[in-house]
Amino acid sequence: MDYMVETKGLTKQYGGKEVVRDVDLKVPRAHVYGFMGPNGAGKSTTLKMLLGLIQISGGQVTIGGEPVNRKNRIAILKETGSLIESPSYYGHLTGRENLEIVQTLKKVPKQEITQVLKLVRMEEQQNKKVREYSLGMKQRLGLAEALLGRPELLILDEPTNGLDPAGIQEIRELIRELPGRMGMTVLVSSHLLGEMDQMADYVGIINHGHLIFQDKLEALHEHSRGSLRLCVMNQTAALEILKREGISCNREEGALELPRLADDATARLIGKLWEGGAGVYRAEEKQKSLEEIFLSLTGRRGSL
Amino acid sequence: MLTACIKTEQMKLRHSHLWLVFLAIPLLPTVLGAGNYVNNIGLLKSEWYSLWTQHSLFYANFFYGPLIAIYCSYIWRVEHLNYNWNSLMTMPTTEREIFLAKLFLALRCTVVLQLWVGVLFAVSGKLVGLPGLPPLEILFWLLRGSLGGMVTAALQLVLSMVIRSFALPIAIALLGSVAGFLMTSGGYGMIWPYSLMMMGMNANKNTDALSSPVGFAAALCVFLVLFISMGIWYLKHKDVHA
Repeated sequence: MDYMVETKGLTKQYGGKEVVRDVDLKVPRAHVYGFMGPNGAGKSTTLKMLLGLIQISGGQVTIGGEPVNRKNRIAILKETGSLIESPSYYGHLTGRENLEIVQTLKKVPKQEITQVLKLVRMEEQQNKKVREYSLGMKQRLGLAEALLGRPELLILDEPTNGLDPAGIQEIRELIRELPGRMGMTVLVSSHLLGEMDQMADYVGIINHGHLIFQDKLEALHEHSRGSLRLCVMNQTAALEILKREGISCNREEGALELPRLADDATARLIGKLWEGGAGVYRAEEKQKSLEEIFLSLTGRRGSL
Repeated sequence: MLTACIKTEQMKLRHSHLWLVFLAIPLLPTVLGAGNYVNNIGLLKSEWYSLWTQHSLFYANFFYGPLIAIYCSYIWRVEHLNYNWNSLMTMPTTEREIFLAKLFLALRCTVVLQLWVGVLFAVSGKLVGLPGLPPLEILFWLLRGSLGGMVTAALQLVLSMVIRSFALPIAIALLGSVAGFLMTSGGYGMIWPYSLMMMGMNANKNTDALSSPVGFAAALCVFLVLFISMGIWYLKHKDVHA
């Protein structure tokens, strides 16, 4: 597999305490890689090490197939766009002037400013001073700066922070399209599992500085699939049928909670319940919360 | 690439009212110097040179260093605010270019300030009734002073980069300048960075007191190389905390 970003044993110590431990990140080229973990798990620290913002205590980083060192730092940064922690901006300058700074340093044609402004829908606010922007607008500007020069790699740290729901959706869709439209590799962090569902092809989960999971998004769903929740008109009839089928269940707040079943088994069961007059009016898969997944993942770390 | 960096550093200073500060503050030592000159005209017999002793006494001790410091603090303030360290250090520019581009602006400031002070000096001289034009020698001193000011600029740029506070480095420059006066009179001016601008502009002297131009030039070079290396080293090795 062709990895855009690869780390081996990446470690960061602060005063003897390891905040990132032995992380082996594998970010496939031209995909969206979701980097997840609770706040303080080491997401930002890891991303900052990739960008060279903080020194690495141990391990190594490879970007675009090249081990990162002092010599190729500039070449790599030229092909990297990033948005770390919070958007960076010069508040006394306008949005466009902020972009002009990046455009000058990245030696990008000036027309691209208009293009990225359009991409993040900021054309109308471009001549306003950035300190008058809302957090969401600053976030968009930060994204526009990162996109300038169409870098091969985009590193985005919680890019939907501070956006309103419509804005969040819009940015997710934009990120989703970047690999296909521009061939970019996007490494995006978030503490929200739901968010990754809409963006990521691959997922890595970091907890207490440890990478506890890394695989395709579907593989994570295997872990997150919890139980089947059924709401029925006639509980007595339903319980009778379940007993006959040999499926255990818990009664919970007027619903029945069943263990996870295979898709065909679920279909068959619902058919039986319908025939038996139990009257299924809702069947839903209850997903585990991110915390529960963390628990199940950390509990089974040996097998990962 | 350095030119692109300088260009962007220039852009970052847009919309600031800094120029107003640099226009107005040098008026103070001019007025104080001219006032002193007029009050002591019985003792001060060397005309333009005498006025220069008074003007430069105030300017070099209390104003030049802190003004350079204000400029340097402002140059870094824009980076200390709003997480800009993150973007500064992830642009495709070397740490050396970042520091040198900022230094270029600071050095330019040291020269422009001296030229403005020269203008104010000439105007105040005419206002107190001195004959003719100020001697060219004083313009030479002013510009030589800006060479010393460059050492101050390089040092202040390092201080303002490391210290996030806007005011603290300026206070250091003020103390350093006052101490510089003592060091210069004690004969230790060559080893004190804030003394070099005073010695260069021949502050509070009516004849050229810079006995060793070679020593002066050597001190300039040593301090400049030292402070520039410190600044670049810091950028290369320090973890960024935006």
